[in-house]
Amino acid sequence: MNHKELIASMAAKMNAPKSVVADLLETTVATCTELLAERKTIGFQSFGNFEVRKKEERLSVHPSTQVRTLIPPKLVVNFKQSNIVKDKLKDIPHHE
Amino acid sequence: MNKEKISSQEIIDLVASKASVSKRAAEEFLKVMIATIEEALMAGEVVKIKNFGTFKLQWNEPRKSVNVQTGEEIILQGYHKVTFTPETSLKDIVNEPFAHLEPVQLDGDNDFIIPEKKEEEVLDPLRIFTEQASEIKDLLSEINALSPTPKRKEIEKKEIVVKDYFDVEDHRTIETEIIAPVEPIEIEQPAVVELPVIEPEVKPEQSEVFIQDEVVPELYEGDEAKAYVPEQSIEPIFENETDPVFESTPFLVGVKPRRKRKRWLWITAVLVLLVGCIGLYLFLPPANKIGNEAFAGTKAGMSYVKNVSIPGFVGSIKKFFSPELKKISVTETVVIPKDTALTDTVEVVEPVDSLQLLFDNPRVYNEFIASEQINAGSRLTIMSKKYYGTKDFWVYIYEANKERIQNPDNIEMGTLIRIPKLDPRLIDASNPRCMQKALELHDEYVRKKPSKSGSSD
Repeated sequence: MNHKELIASMAAKMNAPKSVVADLLETTVATCTELLAERKTIGFQSFGNFEVRKKEERLSVHPSTQVRTLIPPKLVVNFKQSNIVKDKLKDIPHHE
Repeated sequence: MNKEKISSQEIIDLVASKASVSKRAAEEFLKVMIATIEEALMAGEVVKIKNFGTFKLQWNEPRKSVNVQTGEEIILQGYHKVTFTPETSLKDIVNEPFAHLEPVQLDGDNDFIIPEKKEEEVLDPLRIFTEQASEIKDLLSEINALSPTPKRKEIEKKEIVVKDYFDVEDHRTIETEIIAPVEPIEIEQPAVVELPVIEPEVKPEQSEVFIQDEVVPELYEGDEAKAYVPEQSIEPIFENETDPVFESTPFLVGVKPRRKRKRWLWITAVLVLLVGCIGLYLFLPPANKIGNEAFAGTKAGMSYVKNVSIPGFVGSIKKFFSPELKKISVTETVVIPKDTALTDTVEVVEPVDSLQLLFDNPRVYNEFIASEQINAGSRLTIMSKKYYGTKDFWVYIYEANKERIQNPDNIEMGTLIRIPKLDPRLIDASNPRCMQKALELHDEYVRKKPSKSGSSD
């Protein structure tokens, strides 16, 4: 499901025009991005938490050339699902 | 601030105010959004949100574990997990505070070996230099202290070398060989060494050279006479060194200008020493005479030396040294222009254009477009990105504020940084030469502080 499909299905559920939904989604994304940029944690109840984590700098060695490279620290967005979602997902059978 | 958690309610409020919709509408929207995403995930779909990221389901296999309390083995059930992969744009925005950092390739093993080898090659002649320099120093200190014990070992070694060198010559070699056993002192050695120097130029005047031979041993005796020794031993250094320099200048200038400069430092130092020694000798002829006479008595082969009067000595020495000095000065004047001329040509080879001039001329910062106060998290690179568009041009900000910044990696809080107005040609990010220059400057400034290498290891 891509962006457009998501908007379409949401619009159908809300009985609202797609353009409104698209605007709202855009605003939500922008808000979340802003908050994350401030390194704040965003909790969506019953869904999960978006969190910014700092990855410390590390030394990586290229396995074949043995060139050592210092990887600088960085901030990454991490998502952790809530237990509610986890429980819901238990109902999905695992095929393989 | 960092750990502050924003709840759904706050998000709803924010979205409502931003999109200018009622809170209820925003709340409904958010609920629907989450429900839709969940549904799609349940159906095994991947959900993509533009500018945000992708939600995906991931199956975690069941695995064995141990109950920590009882030590029993338990099996953790496999479960599905929602994973979120942020899009590049979100990643970049979040990582903004560290965006200026780049992976640094530490010197690999290969890199370590190559420079070491090079250093050794370069060091070899330098080491000889320093050895000789220390020798000279020792001798000088001896003179100063008027201590009677000369450094025999070193001198004798030299003597052998010199003899080999001189075997080609008939009577002179004989002479020196005779002298060598008779005189245990080092004087003859420098005298012999000098011969090659003079020979090519003064060959017709062999008599003068002879006098030289005789004179030099005599100088030996008095302590003042030792002043001679450094001077003499210096000369070979000078000759040996200048000649190769001459021949190889074209290469040297291009490849190792630094080494050459050092050499010239040495040569000038040697010249100063030489002049000083001559002065010392000329001022102390009587003492010399006494020494000479006493010495003459001890050696049979050298009796003829006695007949030469001291004024004669001085004259001959003067004669001997004046051409020598002239020669030295001549070589010097010749070589120095050569040096500069060559470096000039090296520069000329590169295309000279306005950009090159911009690079080469020291930049003067008079106009400033802004100023910023350093606070926690401030970085020159970030400022550079803000004002010039690329972080690599932070070096120019540093240059403009050099007097306030001690360490570009750790600027004191509260420092007011002025952002200089730069020639747009200088900070053209699309021009590889601008980038190259900025990188060069970066290397120069970052390498200045020794702490960098230590911390990176």
